[in-house]
Amino acid sequence: MSDLKVSRTGGLLGTEEGKTFSWEKVRQVANPEIVIAFTLFTILMVIAIFGALLQTHDPMQGDLLKRFTPPGQEGYFFGSDHLGRDLWSRMVDGLQWSMACALTANVLNLLIGSTLGLLAAEKPGWLRIIVNQFVYTLQSLPGLIILICVVVVVGQGFLTLVFTLGLLSWVVYMRVIYAEASSLFQREYVQAARLAGVSRWSIMFSHVLPGVRASLFVIFAFHFAGLLIAESALSFLGLGAPLGVPTWGNMLAESRQYMIRAPWMLIVPAGAIVTAVVTMNLVGDGIASLSRKKGRSIDV
Amino acid sequence: MSSTAETVPSDDQPSRALESLMGPLVPVMHQLTRLVVLLFMVTTLLFFMLRLAGDPALVLAGNDATPEQLEAIRAQYGLDKPLVIQYFNYMGNLVQGDFGKSLASGEPAMGKVLTMLPATLLIAGLAMAFSIIVAIPLGAWLGFKPERADRRSVSGIIFVFQGVPGFVTALIFIQVFAVNLRWLPSLGMEWGTIIDWAITESFSIPIPVPSKTWILPAASLSWFLMPSLTRVVAANTAEAMREDYIRTARAGGAPASTLLWRHALPNALLGAAALIGTQFAFLMGGAVITETIFAWPGIGWLLIESTQTLDFPVVQSLALCIATLVFSVNALTDLSFQFLDPRLRTKGN
Repeated sequence: MSDLKVSRTGGLLGTEEGKTFSWEKVRQVANPEIVIAFTLFTILMVIAIFGALLQTHDPMQGDLLKRFTPPGQEGYFFGSDHLGRDLWSRMVDGLQWSMACALTANVLNLLIGSTLGLLAAEKPGWLRIIVNQFVYTLQSLPGLIILICVVVVVGQGFLTLVFTLGLLSWVVYMRVIYAEASSLFQREYVQAARLAGVSRWSIMFSHVLPGVRASLFVIFAFHFAGLLIAESALSFLGLGAPLGVPTWGNMLAESRQYMIRAPWMLIVPAGAIVTAVVTMNLVGDGIASLSRKKGRSIDV
Repeated sequence: MSSTAETVPSDDQPSRALESLMGPLVPVMHQLTRLVVLLFMVTTLLFFMLRLAGDPALVLAGNDATPEQLEAIRAQYGLDKPLVIQYFNYMGNLVQGDFGKSLASGEPAMGKVLTMLPATLLIAGLAMAFSIIVAIPLGAWLGFKPERADRRSVSGIIFVFQGVPGFVTALIFIQVFAVNLRWLPSLGMEWGTIIDWAITESFSIPIPVPSKTWILPAASLSWFLMPSLTRVVAANTAEAMREDYIRTARAGGAPASTLLWRHALPNALLGAAALIGTQFAFLMGGAVITETIFAWPGIGWLLIESTQTLDFPVVQSLALCIATLVFSVNALTDLSFQFLDPRLRTKGN
C-alpha cells in the first residue's frame, strides 16, 4: 500500500527524477524564446527583490527645482516627474507592488480554482452543478462592481485589491482543471488506486493533481500577466493602490496632465507594464512548449 | 425509434405531436430557464452586497442629513422594514418590470442604463469589426507558412503587442494622434451627423457620417483585441495546414490559395469564432477603462459612476443588463457553432 503513495508536495512541485539538475538537460530544451523569457524573468525578479539597493533616489522625496528633468540628465536615469521625483526609483517601487499583488492574488486564485475544479470533477452531482452555476454567475457579473463596493466599505489598499482579485478571478483555473481532471478521474490508474482503497483526498491530491501540474504552471504564468494588467488598470482608475503610492497605474494616471511637457512620464511606466506582461507571456509560452516536449499536449 | 413507432399505443399520439411541435423550442426554453436562474442569482447577490456596502437612505439624504430626515426617508422608501422584506419587495417590483429610480437623479434606473447602452454597443461593434477585418487575413498569412523569417518577425511583434494593456494603448494613441499630431479629438463622443443625399428635389437618402470622435476609442480597443485573435487564427491555420486532408488536396494539385482559403481557413475560423464570442461578451461588460479615458458615455462609465456613489437601483439595472447581454452573446456563440461546424449538427430523427 505504501508503494502507491506519492508525497503530497511532490505532486505539485515535481517528481523525484525531475529534481536532478544538469546543464545538459537545459541545453536540450532551450530555444531562443525560452532563454529570452527566463533571462527577462530573472532580471525582473532581481530588480523586485533587491529593489532598495538599486534605487538612486528616495521614490517619495521630490526636488521641486528639478521638475520634468528629461531621462539621463542630472543623475535621473529615467527622468523626473512633476514633483521632481526620480522615475526610475518609483518604477522599481511599482514593480515590487505589482509583483507582490499579482503573486498573492494568483496563489489565492490557484488554490481556490484548482480545489473547486478538482472537487467538481471528482464528485458529479449537486456540487458540480453549484460550482458551475457559481462560475457562470461570476462570469456574467462585472467584478468591478464588487471591487468598488469593497473599496467603498474598507477603503483602498493592498489587501483590498489582493483579496478581491484573489477571490474573484479564479475561474480560468477552475475551468481548465475541471476539464482535465474530469478525464483523469476516468483513467485506469485512478480506478486502480480507488480499488486499492486509497482515500478520496489522496486520489485527488496525489494521483490526479500531478496530472494537471503542467497546465497549472502554464495558467499561472499567463494569469500572472493578466493580473499585472488588472492591477495597473485598477490603480489607473483610482480603485487599486491608494493615491500617492508609487505604482505603475498611479504613475500613468499622474502622467496624463503632463503629456506635452514630459512624455517620458507616460513612456516609463507604460514600458514597465509592457515588459513585465510580455515577460510573463513568454514564460507561459516557454513552460507550455517545455511540457509539450515531454509528450504532453496542453490546452489553455 | 422509428421501428418501434408502429407498436406505440395510439393514446401516445397527442404527446408525440406536442413533442414534435415543441421540439425546436426545447433548447430555447432551456436557455431561458438558465437566463432566469442567472439573473436571479446576480440580483440576489448584488442586493445583499450593496446593502453591506452602504445605506441607501444616507445616499438619498446626503451626509449632512439630520437623524429625523433620515427617518423620514427610510419610512418613505420602505427602508425601515427588515432587509428580507425589502428584498422580497424589490424582487416583486422587478418581476413587474419596475427597476426603481436612480437615487442620484430620480430618473428610472433601467431607462438611464438603456440610454447609455447604444454608445457601448457602438464602440464594441466598431472595435470588434475592425479587429476581425485585420486579424483574419493577417492570421491566415502568418499561419500559412509560419516558419518563414518574415512571418516569424511579424509574429514576434504581435506577441509584444499582446502584452500592451488596452489603457496603455489608449494613452499612447492620445499622446500621438491627439496631442502631438492634433489629428483627432481625444475626448467625448458624438453620434455621427446624418447627411441627406438629395436624389431629386423631393427625394433624399439619409447617409450617416461617422464622427471623428469614434476613431481613437475604437482603434485603441481593437488594438487590444486584435493580437490574440490574430494569434489564434494563425495557430489554427498552421495546425490545419498540417492535416491529412490538406496533404491530399495538395497531392491532388490544388493551388496554394485554394488550400488556404477553401480548406484551411474555414477550420481555423472555428477557433476564432469562440474567441470572438468571448471577447464580445467581455466588451458587453463595458470597456470600462477605454470609456473612462475617452469620456465615452457608455455603460462602463456609468458603472463606475453609479457604483462609487452607491446608486443602488442603477447598479442593479446595469448588472441585469450586462448579465443578459453576456448570456445572449454566449448563447449566440454556441448557436453559431451549430452552423459553422457541421460535426456539431445533430442528425435529424
